[in-house]
Amino acid sequence: MTTATASHDTHHGPEKGLMRWVKTTNHKDIGTLYLWFAFSMLLIGGALAMGIRMELLQPGLQLMEPQFFNQLTTMHGLIMVFGAIMPAFVGLGNWLIPMMVGAPDMALPRMNNWSFWILPFAGGLLLSTFFMEGGAPAFGWTFYAPLSTTFAPDSTDFFIFAVHLLGFSSIMGAINIIATVLNMRAPAMKLMDMPLFVWTWLITSFLLIGAMPVLAGAVTMMLTDRNFGTAFFDATGGGDPVMFQHIFWFFGHPEVYIMILPAFGVVSHIIPTFSRKPLFGYSSMVYATASIAFLSYIVWAHHMFLTGMPVAGELYFMYATMLIAVPTGVKVFNWISTMWRGSMTFETPMLWAISFVFLFTIGGFSGLMLGIAPADIQYHDTYFVVAHFHYVLVTGALWSIIAATFYWLPKWTGKMYNESLAKIHFWWAVISVNVLFFPQHFLGLAGMPRRIPDYSLQFADFNFISSIGGFAFGASFILFTYIVFDCIRNGKPAAARPWEGAKGLEWTLAPKAQYHSFNTPPSRELIESESQHS
Amino acid sequence: MSSLIIIVIIVAILLALGSGLIGLTRGGSAGSDKMFRSLVVRVALSLFLFGLLMLSGYMGWIEPNVVIMDGTIDK
Amino acid sequence: MSEKQYYIPEGTYWPIIGSIGITTLLVGFANQMHGVSWGSSVMVLGFAITVFMLFGWLGQVVNESVNGKYNDQVDRSFRWGMSWFIFSEVMFFAAFFGALFYARTLSVPWLGGADNNVFTPELWNGFSASWQQIAFSTPGTVLQSGTAISIPTELVAATGLPALNTILLLLSGVTLTFAHHALRVDKRNHVVGWLIATIALGVAFLGFQVVEYGHAYATGLKLTSGIYGSTFYMLTGFHGFHVSLGVIMLTVILFRVQKGHFSSDNHFAFEGVAWYWHFVDVVWLGLFVFVYWV
Repeated sequence: MTTATASHDTHHGPEKGLMRWVKTTNHKDIGTLYLWFAFSMLLIGGALAMGIRMELLQPGLQLMEPQFFNQLTTMHGLIMVFGAIMPAFVGLGNWLIPMMVGAPDMALPRMNNWSFWILPFAGGLLLSTFFMEGGAPAFGWTFYAPLSTTFAPDSTDFFIFAVHLLGFSSIMGAINIIATVLNMRAPAMKLMDMPLFVWTWLITSFLLIGAMPVLAGAVTMMLTDRNFGTAFFDATGGGDPVMFQHIFWFFGHPEVYIMILPAFGVVSHIIPTFSRKPLFGYSSMVYATASIAFLSYIVWAHHMFLTGMPVAGELYFMYATMLIAVPTGVKVFNWISTMWRGSMTFETPMLWAISFVFLFTIGGFSGLMLGIAPADIQYHDTYFVVAHFHYVLVTGALWSIIAATFYWLPKWTGKMYNESLAKIHFWWAVISVNVLFFPQHFLGLAGMPRRIPDYSLQFADFNFISSIGGFAFGASFILFTYIVFDCIRNGKPAAARPWEGAKGLEWTLAPKAQYHSFNTPPSRELIESESQHS
Repeated sequence: MSSLIIIVIIVAILLALGSGLIGLTRGGSAGSDKMFRSLVVRVALSLFLFGLLMLSGYMGWIEPNVVIMDGTIDK
Repeated sequence: MSEKQYYIPEGTYWPIIGSIGITTLLVGFANQMHGVSWGSSVMVLGFAITVFMLFGWLGQVVNESVNGKYNDQVDRSFRWGMSWFIFSEVMFFAAFFGALFYARTLSVPWLGGADNNVFTPELWNGFSASWQQIAFSTPGTVLQSGTAISIPTELVAATGLPALNTILLLLSGVTLTFAHHALRVDKRNHVVGWLIATIALGVAFLGFQVVEYGHAYATGLKLTSGIYGSTFYMLTGFHGFHVSLGVIMLTVILFRVQKGHFSSDNHFAFEGVAWYWHFVDVVWLGLFVFVYWV
């Protein structure tokens, strides 16, 4: 038996055979597993979305019963949030953070393996609810009581356990990242030398550890309300369904930033590279990220302006929400200032990053509109909300994941993807996603409610346009899959630093990063020359 | 007033416990000393709080939790 | 620097065994709740696999640690991991304490007409919004889940068993501190003695907690007694679960002390478990103050 001590066997490679993936303690293997898992969940969740858009293509009930439509919207949301976006970011973090901080691997590699290997089981548990009597959960991804307690199908208990497992996995992942950043960082690297992706992930980890246990508490209360006769969310016994919403959103709002902060980090790497300038305002970026994280804990009730709250509460949550626009604005202006007078080129990752800045800002502004308590009375639970969070999560979080994939694919595979195909894919996706989601703003302002399988005739045209955009956007992922496979199989060999302006310790490694990244910590000179700030 | 004092002591206990956790995280002999000292403080404070609770209950400064809360409606 | 060399552990099957175990446990549990006949046996099987995994995994780690494979950096990683895991536990308890505060200071008074002074008496005739005896005066009320509300005939007194249990747990904190001190000055016999005392106090606490539950159930205070019963049992129940875990971990530590695994300057496992015990102790103090008094 060999001991996998990196120090006495620097050429130690992966084990042979399938069991390599089950037993692995290697951050790159685990990152790869995470990314493939997230991608398959993205395709499943996307298939559900195609079903939703198919039903909404025309007014009237076309294809499915309303109950099944509700199952589709619920499961689409849950799969995308917990199955696709979050694992994809953990996968990116796994792959990149040890390389970026000059470490050989994650701090707790066996726990890292477990936090991945819980996911397929949790995902399976969640998906299995589709095949149960009474169908999958159909109460929306926010699972408000009493829809999820009194009026829910039996499969809800499986959903609850799936959420427990997913939360457990996220917490372990977050603990691992904190331990890696704080303990495995190269001794010569100070905190303010860390690349922004590392910073944003470190702060995201604190959000995960603070928020996910609260979600576990909420679903546990649901479980006992459903099966053991407790009355947490039942006014008959002195509980309160509104209390569910408070507990849920105390988790749910930090969750929003869990899904967007690492995206900020990714974009803060790509834009300086292709502008060939250091990142503008590095330290203000770090402080802005920390402020956003802090504020995210104290604004949760802006999701609940219409559920009943004292006026003082509405005012407080409105102003606190507005405050988040300040650090977010700092970030957006920093990205723009980074591009200002840079010698910019527009390779695929840059295209995705620039469109991220543009489209995420649209989503941010519609978020501000929703945060105004009196205006929210009109917007609440309409398609305007749907458009808002899809601009933030699809053209925000997912965009950054795709950008990261193209940006670091050469480092992961040692090969280059097909640039012209990738550009076609970008324009296809960016046009279709706007055809898909932009009309939904108009639908929402005109009063079309969300989570509805049928609608009034005046909404027909925009829904038709939106559905067409949806099908086109869905199809773009076929091309994306092809590009990635094509890169792995037939890609031309890439240079160790395939992007001219790229900085960061990961680019000092071999073209296809070696199995254990840094066996000896990088020197101070190397860290300084690869640092993001000037 | 007495509940305020109780809550202040609880916060102090939590701070001592948290400082112990920081010591635990830091490790080494300095961290170990910090952890041990914090935990001694937290045990002492807890005992003091318990004594205070019992005394306040006995003297009638605080009442256990059975107070009727819907006083406003009938009047 | 003492850690010129990085340490990366070899792969094991324990994580996947753990996933299989926990998933089996949960699938069994869900089916058992739905009245499926094989539910409970699958649940027991899953529990067995999980326990097997815990002993196997931790046993391997202890072995590697005793054989000197780990360096200072690994030790610090464990410390960071343990600390933030405990913080996540704090947040889990915070959700239930939050539910307690919200219900007691907001939703129950609102049901009693505070803030609007209109609704509730019209909704439920004779409804009394008192904290421990929610729905006291509405016998026969059925929860939305279809369960009949159980109406307690007696209130939980803060003196008596709860006070005794508080003393027991606080004393266990004291004895554990003595054990800790003894370990720091390398007096192993004293460590063993104080640890045994701590474990005994913990077990006594659990025993009295069972007696208390029995008494409460006999007088009708059940999980189904409305929000008071819900918060009371969930908070004390999860706390009791953590005390049980703590007792098990202290027992493991006791055996490891006897085997001579720890020295005065290297005893992370002891410190981690000790801190966990102090944490559980403080949670109880919070419970005692907020559930029974303030």
